[in-house]
Formats: sequence, structure tokens, C-alpha cells
Amino acid sequence: MTLTQNTAAPSRKSAGGVAVPKSLSISAVAVILLASIPLGYLVIRATGSGIAVAAAVIGREKTVTTLITTISLALLVAFFALVIGVSSAWLIQRTNLPFSSLFLVLGTLALAVPSYVSTYAWIALIPNFTGFAAAVLILTLTTAPYVLLAAIAALRRIDATQEESARALGLGPTQVAKRVIWPQSRPTLLAAVLLVLLYVLSDFGAVSLLRVDTFTRVVHTMYKATYDRSAAAVVAMVLVLLAAVLIYAEQRARGRAVAAKSGLGTIRTAAKIDIGNKKYVAVAYLFVLSTASIGVPIYVLVTRFIAVSNDLDISKLVSAAAATVTAALAGALLAMLFAIPLGLLAARYKSKVSTIAESAILVTHALPGVVIGLALVALGSKLGFLYQTLPLLAFAYAVLFLAKAVGSVRTSFARVPRVFDDISHSLGYSNWQTIRKVTIPIAAPGVITGFLLVFLTAMKELPATLMLRPTGFDTLATEIWAATAISQYGKAAPYALLLVLIAALPTYLLSRPDRAQVDQSRENVGL
Amino acid sequence: MVNLNYERINLRKYLGLAIGAVLLLSLVACSSNNQDEGAAELTIYSGRSEEFIGPFFADFETQTGIKLNVRYGDSAELAAQLLEEGENSKADLFIAQDAGSLGAVADAGMLTALDSTVLDLVDAQYQSDDGNWIGITGRARVFAYDPTKVTELPSSIDDLLDPKWSGKIGIAPTNASFQAFITALRQLRGEAAAEQWLTALVANKPLTYEKNSMIVEAIDAGQIEIGLTNHYYIYEVAQSLGRAINVKDGFFAPGDVGNLVNVSGAGILNTAKNSAGAAELIKFLLSNESQNKFVTDTNEYSVLPDLPAPKDLPSLTEIGSPRVDLTALKDVAATQQLLVRVGLL
Repeated sequence: MTLTQNTAAPSRKSAGGVAVPKSLSISAVAVILLASIPLGYLVIRATGSGIAVAAAVIGREKTVTTLITTISLALLVAFFALVIGVSSAWLIQRTNLPFSSLFLVLGTLALAVPSYVSTYAWIALIPNFTGFAAAVLILTLTTAPYVLLAAIAALRRIDATQEESARALGLGPTQVAKRVIWPQSRPTLLAAVLLVLLYVLSDFGAVSLLRVDTFTRVVHTMYKATYDRSAAAVVAMVLVLLAAVLIYAEQRARGRAVAAKSGLGTIRTAAKIDIGNKKYVAVAYLFVLSTASIGVPIYVLVTRFIAVSNDLDISKLVSAAAATVTAALAGALLAMLFAIPLGLLAARYKSKVSTIAESAILVTHALPGVVIGLALVALGSKLGFLYQTLPLLAFAYAVLFLAKAVGSVRTSFARVPRVFDDISHSLGYSNWQTIRKVTIPIAAPGVITGFLLVFLTAMKELPATLMLRPTGFDTLATEIWAATAISQYGKAAPYALLLVLIAALPTYLLSRPDRAQVDQSRENVGL
Repeated sequence: MVNLNYERINLRKYLGLAIGAVLLLSLVACSSNNQDEGAAELTIYSGRSEEFIGPFFADFETQTGIKLNVRYGDSAELAAQLLEEGENSKADLFIAQDAGSLGAVADAGMLTALDSTVLDLVDAQYQSDDGNWIGITGRARVFAYDPTKVTELPSSIDDLLDPKWSGKIGIAPTNASFQAFITALRQLRGEAAAEQWLTALVANKPLTYEKNSMIVEAIDAGQIEIGLTNHYYIYEVAQSLGRAINVKDGFFAPGDVGNLVNVSGAGILNTAKNSAGAAELIKFLLSNESQNKFVTDTNEYSVLPDLPAPKDLPSLTEIGSPRVDLTALKDVAATQQLLVRVGLL
């Protein structure tokens, strides 16, 4: 534990001493304002109906049962995703598991499969597949990659020398895990668990097909039944409160722990543990997981595709792929542009403002896509020329997935030793120059991870895409939706397969051992 | 500091690549959307899927030279989007899968009254009371059934309450078409009787599904024997599976509420920039030629009085749809409350 406290102490001191650069606080405030548009919209809509209506909507018996369903679903999924994610990460990163990089890519690829596609595939395979347990299974498979990626990153960051010292001091494997590995991976894992919780709150695809009434499904039902945007907004506000509670709990649990390296710049990764014959069990375990998460959807889509032997419109496929990549890239770029000032502020100048900003962004992440879509429709339609153009769609993605970007940016900024700032200042760099020339370059791997996460998620986004895309701008996700909406699952297959294929590249980049870091260690060894 | 330098270049490279790719790809993605300057345009929000209505739009474009900008989406979500856009909407025409979505937009005062030359084409039963939206195609509620297991067909929805159907019926209570049927049931029999029927149905342990197509798939898979759905889903599912399926459509006795005929329809926005073009498109969709094409290609019913029924199906007159005011079918909120009360939602 002393290891973590070492760096926490100076960071607290300098946080009091260093003023927040003006350009940073201005850009952070601007981002917060932009990102709070959906929340503002909800408040206006929800209060527009008057307190009596709001009370009637919240006071329904349905609210209580929905609350119980939503919370238990989110917690169960988070628990299983944590178990699966951490165990797979440990097997892949720390043992002599065969095909470990393949399993890492397979384990992450589920991020590219829209939940409505995987759910449908399971229903096609097991006709009685419905209800709460089914939703737990699907959502666990969908969200486990978030934990897997976080756990892998955390394990890679822990300096082997610390574990070796701990062992040399007589600690057993459990003690090492508890006293060295857990304290250092806790912030990263908790952040991932929070993302999983928020994902479950906002998911529509799986819960609707499996008929599980979470708040997001109820919001949708209310739009469809009554077109009553106020009542739906009231329900969405309950969702916001629920998300706020989860976010607060995570922030309390995360505490002030900051992971540390034992020396400047150097990280040596731990040697792989030989698990002997148990590796066959491990391979079987990971094989079953990837079969369930991506094998089943791909199998069902391909068999349906073959059964109908559709003639394939290649040019449509190519333009949909180009549209998907364009919009998702633009969204991811914008998200990073937004995330960097916020991440810096949260990591470096921890204050009430940065905590509130972070919470507002996370809350937005729990909102159903349809709510964010409608909020941006309400605002965007007044903007005239910008409405239903690529920039506004990219902005929607940035707002929807900013939490993912800020999360990884914050963690990697937090890991840049404060002492580098002092050195930089002593060499005559201003705050801004320090951020640009020292902090951001060192945090680059985290920035890139955030970028890729937003890119991956934006590629499969549907509700906001349908509302905000330029007219006639068909993406892979909208083509999949167009086919599945009329039960043409075979027709959706090539689009879904291409989506998975395109996603494989960023997934591979995400899962690859960090080249920069390896080089860095080598340089330091040379010194 | 050598290593830091290396990483900065790395990040810049990523950024440069990403921005380059966005610019390049947006050229590719937008190149097909270049608009002909000067040509008349029409913006459509379509809740009907591209697969089924796209060919009609293409024909209209070649015939008239009017360029169509079509946004496809879910009918209810497009309605919500239109309500949110209000007078800033770019849409000229709204085409929806069901009368409910059209009714919601009409209620907000966003649809304009259609010209009598359009309204006169279609039976008053298949248009709104105020004449601000009109039916384009008819879709009948049916019971889909497994012909090998069901030999004695029900003649009324009340027959489904017989214990012999216990655990063998499929319904889709969250689906707009089922809710429209229940709304019609409330209208025809009154609230108490509708609740009584639903309670008895629930006692017969129906299996619930999210989509109509899933009911048909479940019958084909032998899980259930009968299900309440729309008539065209057996064609959709057969096409999706790429084979013949063991499911047939059945109709209740003429006049039974289970035979409700609902419509997909269209309405012109008050704020339309090209309302003449929108009216032209509606007339095109209601032309004999288009209506025949709907009947043969999408297996839907024509809303014109004299056209034949889809292949192997009885005509609308033979079905004997119950007399229901389609405009009133938008009162789905009370239906949902009822469904919640009986435990189906």
C-alpha cells in the first residue's frame, strides 16, 4: 500500500499549488456545456409536464418493479462481466496460454456485434430464449470485453519488480494479488465496471427482444404508446438519478489510489506463469466464451445468408462501410478533442468542477440513444444547415460516448508522474507547453485506447444515427436494422460480418501489447 | 527524452491518419448524394422499409423527374422526431406503418388537409376523419396457425379462450398492431368486456413475443399452434428463412374484431416546401398500377375499392372487417394501461 501512497502525496500538494491553465478551464467548460445538452433537454421536457404529471408517472407501481429489474440486471451483469473479464485477462496476460493474442482479439470482438443482432441469433438458435436470465447472459457477453480490456491494461501496467519484491518479502500469490495487484488495478477495473453498469442501463436491443422491462425499454414503450415526450422524459430522469447513484458509488470506491511505477519510465511486465495441463481447461473456457459471444451470431447470420442465397449489392456494401467508418472516425476524433481537456482537468486538477463534469458525462452515457437522439433533434432542427449533416452526427457520437473517452484519457493522464511537470516548468515550459509537449505524448497510449473504444462503439450505434444521419447516408448499422426490421436476417448477414471485420482492426490495435511502452523500457534499459 | 519524442510522433501519425481518412471517406460516402441543382425535390420520412417501398420511389423518380430524399426509420420514432422538429422539419411527406403514428403527428396539428381529389380515391374507412392522412395499403389481422395440428379453426376471438388452446397461443403485446387490435376491441365491446376477454386470454397462458415475425417462426418451429398477427408475416418469414413454412393465415367469421383491417398511410406536413410534389407521390402510390404492385409484391391489400386481394387470400369484403374508426386507434395509452393491468405489459 505504501507504493500507492508515495505518488498520491506529492500530487495532492501540487494540486493545491498549481493554478489551472486558463485555456484548459475554458475549453473544459465549453465541452461540459456541449455535453450537457441532452441532460438539459430532459430537464426541460420532464418539467414541462408539471409536477402532478411527473408524480403520477413516477408513482406508478410499474416504476418500482422496473427499478428492481433494472438494478438487479445491471448488478448481475457487472458481476459476471467482472469475473469473465478479469479471469480471461489473467489467463491471456499472465499465463503460458496457447493462442493468447487470438483469444484477446476474439474476446474483444464482441464489442462490434450490436446487441440486437446477437440477441436475435440466440433466439433463432434457442426458440425459448427470453426473459431475465437470457438478458443477463447476452449483456454479460456484450460487456465483458470492457472489463477484459481494462484488466489487461491494468496487468500490463503493474511493474513486475513490485510483485517480485512482495514475493521476496514472503507474501503468497493471494497476498500479492490482494496487496500489490488489486490496489493498482482497482481504479481501472472500477471504471470498467461503471461502464458496464451504464451500458446495461442504456441498452435497448437485448432487453426489448428478450422482453425485460428496464427503464430504457419503458422509455421506448412510452414514446410508442403515447408519443408523450414529457412522460418519457420523466422516466428517463429516474434513469439519470439511478446512474448518478452508481457513479457516486464508483467515485467513492475508486478513492484516491494512483498506480505507480517504481522508477521513472520503466515498466517490466511479469513473467508468464506456467499453468501446466490446466491450460487445456483454460483454452476450452475461452473458446466457449468467444463461441457464445461472436460464434453464435456469425453462425446464425451466415446460415441464414446461405439459405436465402441473396444476390449481394457490393457497391451498397462498400458505401455503407465507408459511411460507417467516416462517421465513427469523425465521432471518435471529436470525442477525443472533448475528452483531453476534461481528462486533464480530472486527472491533474481534481476539483469539485471536474468531479461534477465527469459525473454529468457519465450520466449522459446511461441515457438511451433515442433520448440523446431526440435531444439533438430538438436542438439541431433549429440550426438549419447543420441539421442532419455529418458534423452533427459526429457530435452526437462524441456526446454519447464521451464517458468512454474521458475514462481512458483520465487514467492515462493520472499515470504521468507529477514530477515531470516540475521538471518541465524548471526548464522554462509554460503550463500549456507542458501539457502539449510532456503530458499528452506520455499519455498517448491511453488517448489512442479511448479513441478506438469510441470508434468501435459508434460503428454500431443505431437510434441517434437513424435520426441524425444525412438523408440517404446508409451505414452498416442502419442497413442491418433495415434488414432485421423486416426479419430479413440473411440479408443483414453481409453487413454484420463486414461490421465485425472492420471492428477487428481497432480491436487488434486495442489488444496488441503496447509497442511504445516496450520500446520505452528498452531505451531505459540502455540508459 | 528520446522515448517521449517517439510516442508523440506516434500519436500525431494516428491523428493525421484518422483525419485524412475522415476527409477521404466523406468524399466517397457523399459522392453518391450529389444533388442535381434546380431539380424539384421531395423529402420523405418513411416508416415503411426501403425493401418494400423503395422500388415505388424509384419508379416515381424516373416518371416525374422529382428527386426523392428518403429517411427510413421506425414509424413511432419518426413520429417522435417530427414532433420534436416541429415547424423546423425538413420533411414534406410522412409515410407510416400504422394509423397510430400518423394520428400522433396529425394531433399536433402538423399535417395539412389533403385535397379531395386524393381523398376521394379511397374508401372513407381507410382515411382520417379530418382528411389529413390517407391509407396507402391495408393489412388484415389474422390468426396464423399450424395446419397439421389445428384442424378445427376458431371462428371468433372468443374461441381462443377455450382451455384446449392453453399454452398454445402466441401474441405480441408490445407490438403496435396487437395494441391497435385491443384498442378496436375496447371500441367495439366497451372497456369492461375488453378487460374480461384479455383476462380470460391470460388465463389460457399465451406465449408472448416481441415481434409478429417471431410468432410465425415459433409456429413453424412447432412451439405453439396458433398466434395473433398480421396477414403478411407468413410471407416475410418464409422469405427470411428461404424455404416454405408450415404456417397458414386464418380469418375469423366476418365482422369479428379479430379481422381488423389497419392501414399503412401517408400525410403531408403543414410546413412542406413541396406539398404539390408530395400530393403527386400520394396519387402515384394510389394509382391502379402501384396498388396492383403492392398486392403482388408485398402481399398487402389495396385500399382501392375494386382491386383483387393478394394471392390465396380472401378479399376485404369476404373478410368482413369490423366497423372501426381508424382515427380513434391512436388512443393506445388506455390500451397499454389495460395491458399492464392484466399483466401482459
